[in-house]
Amino acid sequence: MIECDIAIVGTGLAGMRAGVEIAEKSRKVSVALISKTYPIRCHSVCAEGGSAAVLREGDSFELHEWDTVKGSDFLADQDVVEFFVRECPKEIIRLENWGCPWSRTADGKIAQRAFGGQSFPRTVFAADRTGFHEVHTLYERLLSYENVEFFNEFFLTNLAIADGRIQGISAIDLKNGDLEFFKAKAVILATGGAGRLYGFTTYSHQVTGDGIAIAYRCGIPLKDMEFMQFHPTGLIPSGILMTEACRGEGGYLRNRLGERFMQKYAPEKMELAPRDVVARAMWKEIIEGRGFESEHGPYIALDLTHLGEEKIEERLPMIREAAIKFAGVDPVEEPIPVKPVQHYTMGGIHTNMFTETPVKGLFAVGECACISIHGANRLGSNSTVECLVFGRVAGERALKFAENAKEPEIPKNFIKEEESRIYDKIGKGDENPHAIKKRLNEVMDTHLWIFRTGEGLKEALREIRELKRRYERVVISDSSRKFNVALLSTLEVGYLLDLAEVVAMGALLRTESRGAHYRLDYPARDDEHWLKHTLAYYTGKEPRFEYLPVTITKWKPVERKY
Amino acid sequence: MKFKIKRFNEKNGSYWQTFEVPVRTAMTVLDGLFYIRENLDNSLAFRASCRMGICGSCAVKINGKPRLACETQLSKFKEVKIEPLDNFAVIKDLVTEFEGFFAKHKKVKPYLINPKISYENPVEQIQTPKQLKAYYDFTLCIKCGACYSVCPAGATLESYLGPAALASAYRFNADSRDHGKEERLKIVSQPNGVWRCHSAMECSEVCPKQIEPAKAIQLLRRATLR
Amino acid sequence: MRILGWFKYRSPFGMTFMFQRITGLILLFYLCLHLAYLTSLQEKELYEFFTSITVSKQFFIFDSLLILCGVFHGLNGLRIIIHELGFAHEHRRVVLIITGLLAVVAWLYGSYIMFLAIGD
Ligand SMILES: Cc1cc2nc3c(=O)[nH]c(=O)nc-3n(C[C@H](O)[C@H](O)[C@H](O)COP(=O)(O)OP(=O)(O)OC[C@H]3O[C@@H](n4cnc5c(N)ncnc54)[C@H](O)[C@@H]3O)c2cc1C
Ligand code: SF4
Ligand code: FES
Repeated sequence: MIECDIAIVGTGLAGMRAGVEIAEKSRKVSVALISKTYPIRCHSVCAEGGSAAVLREGDSFELHEWDTVKGSDFLADQDVVEFFVRECPKEIIRLENWGCPWSRTADGKIAQRAFGGQSFPRTVFAADRTGFHEVHTLYERLLSYENVEFFNEFFLTNLAIADGRIQGISAIDLKNGDLEFFKAKAVILATGGAGRLYGFTTYSHQVTGDGIAIAYRCGIPLKDMEFMQFHPTGLIPSGILMTEACRGEGGYLRNRLGERFMQKYAPEKMELAPRDVVARAMWKEIIEGRGFESEHGPYIALDLTHLGEEKIEERLPMIREAAIKFAGVDPVEEPIPVKPVQHYTMGGIHTNMFTETPVKGLFAVGECACISIHGANRLGSNSTVECLVFGRVAGERALKFAENAKEPEIPKNFIKEEESRIYDKIGKGDENPHAIKKRLNEVMDTHLWIFRTGEGLKEALREIRELKRRYERVVISDSSRKFNVALLSTLEVGYLLDLAEVVAMGALLRTESRGAHYRLDYPARDDEHWLKHTLAYYTGKEPRFEYLPVTITKWKPVERKY
Repeated sequence: MKFKIKRFNEKNGSYWQTFEVPVRTAMTVLDGLFYIRENLDNSLAFRASCRMGICGSCAVKINGKPRLACETQLSKFKEVKIEPLDNFAVIKDLVTEFEGFFAKHKKVKPYLINPKISYENPVEQIQTPKQLKAYYDFTLCIKCGACYSVCPAGATLESYLGPAALASAYRFNADSRDHGKEERLKIVSQPNGVWRCHSAMECSEVCPKQIEPAKAIQLLRRATLR
Repeated sequence: MRILGWFKYRSPFGMTFMFQRITGLILLFYLCLHLAYLTSLQEKELYEFFTSITVSKQFFIFDSLLILCGVFHGLNGLRIIIHELGFAHEHRRVVLIITGLLAVVAWLYGSYIMFLAIGD
């Protein structure tokens, strides 16, 4: 049993930012930072393009608010957005103060560039390795505090909840295979999204939605899970992201006929329309046979050749490196082969605007949470900064809660049940968990992709339930304790299956098209019936659904045109 | 293609095992490892996350040289031989113990030291592109451990801070916003610091991010002599 | 035996590192021999015995190898000093090749002189 005042699970941007806040405010409380990878191996290091913040003359909080709300297709909670945009600049400057190597203008100020759906170029960046530098800066900052301890390679398995409040968590210590229990007054979940539901995705292998699924199984509702973002430009065949900055810096999208087809779909913003709009346009070009052909399927060309080597080297060095290394194409000379790719989980654990979940002392933040600033479609570069802004809020709230909380107590039967669940119950059948995951990925890639239909969604649900039945007979052939990756991947597949069901059912019920959720059989937005958040509850069988009104303050829903 | 993998677990000790992996175009060594785990032997332990060369998880020895498995295309080879990194203790198969490596990184105070900054009211500091360039290349270290695994000084002295940690120390000392140079120089000039380096230059040779840690070490030496 | 970590072949740089150690050891060994040689000057018989085996055509190959060790160790030492002063890290391959070429030239020239000396 490990005792701490506050346990933070997940050391991505959100979790680490919460840790910094707590350590800055109190040198007394003990903080445990728990993660299944080393902190600087978290998925946030992959973020490339940048983080949005209002810093300069000509931009304003209202503009940032409006862009975010309009981008969200009016499903974002506007009070949260208002708070959010006002906090962004401070967070960017704090990171600067802690050593983040932001790219600079000639006179030494923090530079900004354009991103999709923005009325002002407000994306702050560190070359095309923004997330990488942000993560390293936060991690390094955390090394300077004494009351912060890292528990690396600990895999969260469950939350101990009793008397309506959090008491602690359980996690497998991968290095020796033992189940460890952390007793904590407050717990912050920051375990990231659920991108590996899909096969063609920009996500790291470790992003399997564990935290979301665990909270769900503990009875905490999940919000808006049917909204999955598709990024227009994923490199073929690996799905590695070609950042939106490629288009922000002036890149073109072309079909097989050489046309800049965005002219037809978003004549004003062209390539820089929001992601859902561009992704749909590209998919339509592909379906209608205007894509290029290759052995890895059809694709669209992302053309940077006219930018010239110098600009590409200065602003997009990693993109060039990746295109050469992973696709054998030098963007200075030829267009990059891309197609839309799954990229972000808008939904997540239901929280209020202070990152509080319905369970006292349990907070959720970052991509695993749905605090609802992204609504039905996230704007590029709003999410890294969301992790920073609300990471701080979560830290502040958790600290306040922990300082006034009673001693926690992990129930005896929780310990016993969890041990038997992990070591005795799972994995005694004959089904290969990887085969189940592969099939799940295929189902998601077909039926829960950019264009959805009622028929397809029903078929998907049937398949997912079949897979869940197969999962009950799953086998873990490795019985050793140390670094048992077989056990780990089996648990992860179980989490993914639960989430897949919520996503598919939510999508089937939502009979409209909004943001990233596009139903061919209901192609219009339906504010009368569907201007509301989806909440999914775990019941042991099918999820139960409830709905929650959207908070609207300043901006009344209007048609979304770019 | 044949994958010859050096495996290790407590029960069976260390042994070599060969797997046959079907190869597609643009396939990486990491894809091959996943293929084995998913289809042939799901106990095969290795670390991986980002599969785009930025998280630093997947460094292993491939055909004798430490490389990132996710960045290494199979088309380069006829056969691959994969071993865990040298100079690190093996936990299982290709997974090695990194706690010590990260502890050394922590020792050099790898954070910006500036007593003037305020947490509540942060103020933007000016840094010209030229000042940024002075240290930027050294910020790119992904802590993959490849450099440490080939370092002869690390092989002979376990407590040697090593190329990655020292490069990190240099990164902060070269930052125009930092005020902790003296503290850091004191740390790196101890017996397990910069003077342990034998200039074998292996670290700079194998670094997948072209960091040139050997250069950082020499520049730190120069600074300690001032 | 952690010291074996010094003698693992890896890249060309690891190889020169390794040879630097080996040539260093050889030169050390030779230095000892040389001292023994000098000491033997005090005793005529011993000195003559030594010269009879070392100053000969058959032994030339060892002399030549010794020259190789010497020039390699010296020139490579200079190369390392350049880098240790913080210079030319980006051009280390070129510097290595130049060092290698210089070493070969110096070795051949030295051996030639030595050969002529024995030929007399
Ligand atoms: C390729 C790519 C590029 C992106 N680019 C941008 C961009 O330019 N701008 C932008 O704003 N956003 C971008 N995003 C989105 C953004 O990176 C993410 O939303 C954000 O980093 C999420 O951070 P996080 O802290 O919530 O989670 P993560 O960084 O995913 O961290 C999750 C943490 O939880 C831990 N964890 C997970 N499960 C468990 C478990 N069971 N037990 C213990 N620990 C666990 C992990 O180890 C990890 O430390 C990008 C995303 C992708 C995929
Ligand atoms: S210096 Fe290079 S080799 Fe060493 S840890 Fe960093 S990235 Fe890896
Ligand atoms: S998997 Fe991240 S560096 Fe290879």
